[in-house]
Amino acid sequence: MHAIITTGLGKTYPGGKEALKDLSLQLDEGEVFGFLGPNGAGKTTAVKLLTGMLNPTAGSALVMGHDPEKDPERVHALCGVVTENARMYDHLSGLENLMFYGALYGQNSFESRERADMLLAGLALHDAKDKKLGAYSTGMRQKLSFARALMHRPRMLFLDEPTSGMDPESGIKVNQMITRLAKEEGVTVFLCTHQLRYAQDICTRFGLISEGAMLMTGTLPELQNAVLPGIRVRIRADKLPAGLPLQEAGNGVFEGSLGEEGEVADLVRKIVLQGGDLYRVEVEKPSLEEIYFALTRNREAAK
Amino acid sequence: MKTAMKALINKDLKAITKNKQLFASIIVVPLIMGVFLPLLFVVIFHFVPDEMGDLQPLLNLLPAKGIKDGQTMVLSLLINYLMPGFFLMIPLMAASVMAASAFVSEKEKSTLETLLLSPLSLREIFTAKVLSAFILSMLVSLATFLLMTLAFETAVYLLMGRLVALHFSWVLILLLVGPAVSLLAITLIVRTSAKSQTAMEAQQRSVFLILPLLLLVIGQLTGVMLLDAWMLLGLGIVLGAIAYVLMWGAVKKITYEKLMGI
Ligand SMILES: Nc1ncnc2c1ncn2[C@@H]1O[C@H](COP(=O)(O)OP(=O)(O)OP(=O)(O)O)[C@@H](O)[C@H]1O
Ligand SMILES: [Mg+2]
Repeated sequence: MHAIITTGLGKTYPGGKEALKDLSLQLDEGEVFGFLGPNGAGKTTAVKLLTGMLNPTAGSALVMGHDPEKDPERVHALCGVVTENARMYDHLSGLENLMFYGALYGQNSFESRERADMLLAGLALHDAKDKKLGAYSTGMRQKLSFARALMHRPRMLFLDEPTSGMDPESGIKVNQMITRLAKEEGVTVFLCTHQLRYAQDICTRFGLISEGAMLMTGTLPELQNAVLPGIRVRIRADKLPAGLPLQEAGNGVFEGSLGEEGEVADLVRKIVLQGGDLYRVEVEKPSLEEIYFALTRNREAAK
Repeated sequence: MKTAMKALINKDLKAITKNKQLFASIIVVPLIMGVFLPLLFVVIFHFVPDEMGDLQPLLNLLPAKGIKDGQTMVLSLLINYLMPGFFLMIPLMAASVMAASAFVSEKEKSTLETLLLSPLSLREIFTAKVLSAFILSMLVSLATFLLMTLAFETAVYLLMGRLVALHFSWVLILLLVGPAVSLLAITLIVRTSAKSQTAMEAQQRSVFLILPLLLLVIGQLTGVMLLDAWMLLGLGIVLGAIAYVLMWGAVKKITYEKLMGI
């Protein structure tokens, strides 16, 4: 079964702003889908449509087999959601908050307590569990929201900027949890983020959206092939034979792009056979960040 | 009822007792309307009975069955005819404060979205919220009624050495008119909650519900209309029916988008 299927999903806000256009997407179970795009691109709007908080003005969606427009409760029972606007109660402690949301999912106080304790410990919040949420820092709140979304062992997670405001250790911890949930428990993750380095590490597939329109979807290699094909080599050598596709970048370092990995061997062979001394060879594929910028730049240029 | 709904009701009721300001505002009106006011009437009547002379035309209207003396009649008039109008402000106020807090402050503090993302349906969340306001207002009403009876009878007994019988109409007020007034106040708050950005604003909207109650009090005072049990029964049924119809109208139209103000 697909975790998410959308067909021509679109949302125009009452004011007339078309925030999402014709989104057609399929996610398999266990995928970690990175939904990337600049501010105002429509990411949060998409999450709200998929969780039934907004009604689509075009198209339709199925999340874990249920239509979020018609059966939002069923979708909610299967999904955990972290968004910026979904806060918890300042007058309750971290633990009380989690136990309350556990109760909303039908857990008795024993179950919810056990689950909450486990999640709090996993996110290094155990020492703050009896503190009122009002006294939590931004990052602590964000961690607690993540814990809240996991209280009912959801089959699917919608995470809208889950690590914003967290320190690097916490960010890594959360990302590890996301990866583990996906790999070991087959949880599907729909992750909106601006942190492209993290996204590159934890997502199995990506979608790049801009101004409400999906520009491209695919795995990292697919995106690399489509947007910035080829690989980059950086070589440090004492001398280079003429006619190689490399440019001097100073300090005896030469850089250039090649079509595929096989060409690297050719290049190295040529240098060595001509009597050059090689000190270092680095081969690199474009990062997600580079692809992102290339794509958004292309789009700017097209306008 | 689902345990999840109970958890929600529990949370709302606990929240109100933890919020000192809200709790104070829920306690103050009942103390003034239910305890201070009847005591004041009794004391004035005891020490300056002439001040009550204006009530004579009213007394003539009263069905004087079984009541022997004028003094008891005045006291009976106070507690059985004058007090109900004031008393009804208690469920009205408690229900409004609680409903405003339960609906609007969730929005104000951005906790509504989290709640809407739970597996409870909109209708269940709505029902739980209405119930928590209703339960609180009934608890406050009943407690105030007991306090009022105790304070009034004690004062009357100590000052004038007698007890005054409460009419059957109090049963109707507590179990029918009061609940109907609560429901009406809750409905009003809920219907305007989408438009109100703060709980304060929502409460202020319900204040105008006090006006008809004041009319009731004035009506009683001037003898234009003395409510007997039958009239109370009718009033309770009519108000309850209006509240019910308005409430279901609101429930049917409610959507996630509307609640979040989109
Ligand atoms: N309630 C609303 N009413 C009208 N327009 C809205 C509303 N919410 C969002 N928009 C508009 O829809 C567009 C998409 O917004 P959205 O919040 O989905 O962007 P986003 O990709 O999540 O951005 P960010 O990265 O900043 O979180 C924006 O132009 C925004 O102004
Ligand atoms: Mg957003």
